[in-house]
Amino acid sequence: MSPDTTAGPLASPDTAPAAPSRGLLARLGEPKALSWIAVAVVILAWELAVIVLQLNPIYLPRPSRIVVALFEMFRSGGLATDLIATLIRIFGGFFIALAFGVALGVWMAVSVRVRAIADNFIAALYPLPKVTLIPLLIIWLGTGGPFMLTISMLGAFFPVVINTVLGISQCDQGLVLAARDLGASRRQIIRMVLLPSAIPSIFAGIRLGLGVSIILVVAAEMVVGKLGLGARLYLAGQVLETEQVFAVLIVLATLGIVVTKVQDAIDVRLGHWRVN
Amino acid sequence: MSPVPSPAPAAARTATSATTIAVEAVGLTFPSKSGEPTVALGEVSCRFAPGKVTAIIGPSGCGKSTLLQIVRGFLAPTRGTLRFLLLGGDGATDAAATPRDVAAPHMATVWQAFNLFPWRTVIDNVAFGLEVAGVPKAERLARARKALAAVDLGGFEQKYPRQLSGGMRQRVGIARALVMEPEVLLLDEPFGALDAQTRLVLQEQLATLVERSGTTAILVTHSIEEAILLADTILVMTARPGRIAAEIHDDLPHPRSMATTHDPRFAALFDRIYGLLRQEVIRAMATEGGDA
Repeated sequence: MSPDTTAGPLASPDTAPAAPSRGLLARLGEPKALSWIAVAVVILAWELAVIVLQLNPIYLPRPSRIVVALFEMFRSGGLATDLIATLIRIFGGFFIALAFGVALGVWMAVSVRVRAIADNFIAALYPLPKVTLIPLLIIWLGTGGPFMLTISMLGAFFPVVINTVLGISQCDQGLVLAARDLGASRRQIIRMVLLPSAIPSIFAGIRLGLGVSIILVVAAEMVVGKLGLGARLYLAGQVLETEQVFAVLIVLATLGIVVTKVQDAIDVRLGHWRVN
Repeated sequence: MSPVPSPAPAAARTATSATTIAVEAVGLTFPSKSGEPTVALGEVSCRFAPGKVTAIIGPSGCGKSTLLQIVRGFLAPTRGTLRFLLLGGDGATDAAATPRDVAAPHMATVWQAFNLFPWRTVIDNVAFGLEVAGVPKAERLARARKALAAVDLGGFEQKYPRQLSGGMRQRVGIARALVMEPEVLLLDEPFGALDAQTRLVLQEQLATLVERSGTTAILVTHSIEEAILLADTILVMTARPGRIAAEIHDDLPHPRSMATTHDPRFAALFDRIYGLLRQEVIRAMATEGGDA
């Protein structure tokens, strides 16, 4: 076997024999290990740079201090409450957007009239930066839960609608004909042919939409500033608690990683028929 | 004997239909934005007899697939009528000679592009029609498994279409249609997307299956050989606008296999059909050149 372990279309895990006697160096060179080693190296360099260059912690605190601040905030600073509040806002709005977005998308895709009615509104609202709606929504809804759910929903709604319409319109007409031939009703065709064939596209919409929801909720929290990760971030910045600012950023980055990985996992599970 | 394994004797016919499909002066013309309307199908009159296999053969663009879609009810003709008739006399003891209009028989189609649902496993593809009809899960899976065994795909139930070869995919397509026990089986260039060798084997297999099921079958094809091997009647169509140029009776003995192609009667039929088609194909090429 060649020592080349690059993962890719050429690597075949089924045929590659296990190599227990591989050296430590070779194992460190594996892409998966390498990606974590790179992270560790950067953090270590950061820590050393702050110590050696004696940087002011107000500008750049040491990573070790940030971790300590992070634990402190979770233990006694109520960061968990903020995290939960933010998560509820993001996912609450997101799931409302998903349900209504897919429903409207299907309706638009199968009815020319519904599409004609909805088209211009979507064309106008989709490219509009949703943060610009924050002032108006505060006037209408105040700064409480309804406001947060609405802003989160607005973020995810349009990408989900647009990708649902796209996915269904791209469905192979031969499959629709085959389903009709086998006796499927219009509803059955929607449920058993159009929706499954649109799932990859809907998922692309979910990825985009959830990302926008996260941005919008955190931005709205920074503006409204009471509870939530965005509020914590803004308040810590106001009082120059740079370690806390970094700590909240770490929580947000981790949230991003978790969301992405969960999406990947669901994507693989739903799309297993696409791979051999 | 056919080299294809046949698990049941040829006598075990299941869904026998008594309905004759009568196509009476049927034509289809699409209006087009650029003035000249498109004639998808000229004027066609023909009958598809119950329990018989009828092949429709003709040059590209003559409207043979259109005719199939009209029979299926997916396209409405702009001229003429499509009728489903119960004929008296023939075979029946009481010779009530007047034909009676009846409801459309139950049909199922095998498609050139297979049209399998890529997100469904092989068995779930075959069970699709039973599922939408509300057949309970255990029963529909059992029937789908049987249909798959009939096309020699036992053991492939849990695969996805993408994991199968073209020939296997079309066997899934055939099983998916046959599991519905249709009174009329519509075959829209079923082997058009397959390589020549796979095609030969599947033609033989389909001939056996259709014969055994006793369904009425309509086969649209480009292949003269396929038409002769599978059909009882062969309709040769003209170039666009498509009409029926000839109706040829094919009484080669059953069961038919590749050996049938060595029969001198096969050669005679082939030459006759080729003679008719040749002029039409040349005519089609000439008009197509003019169109483009």
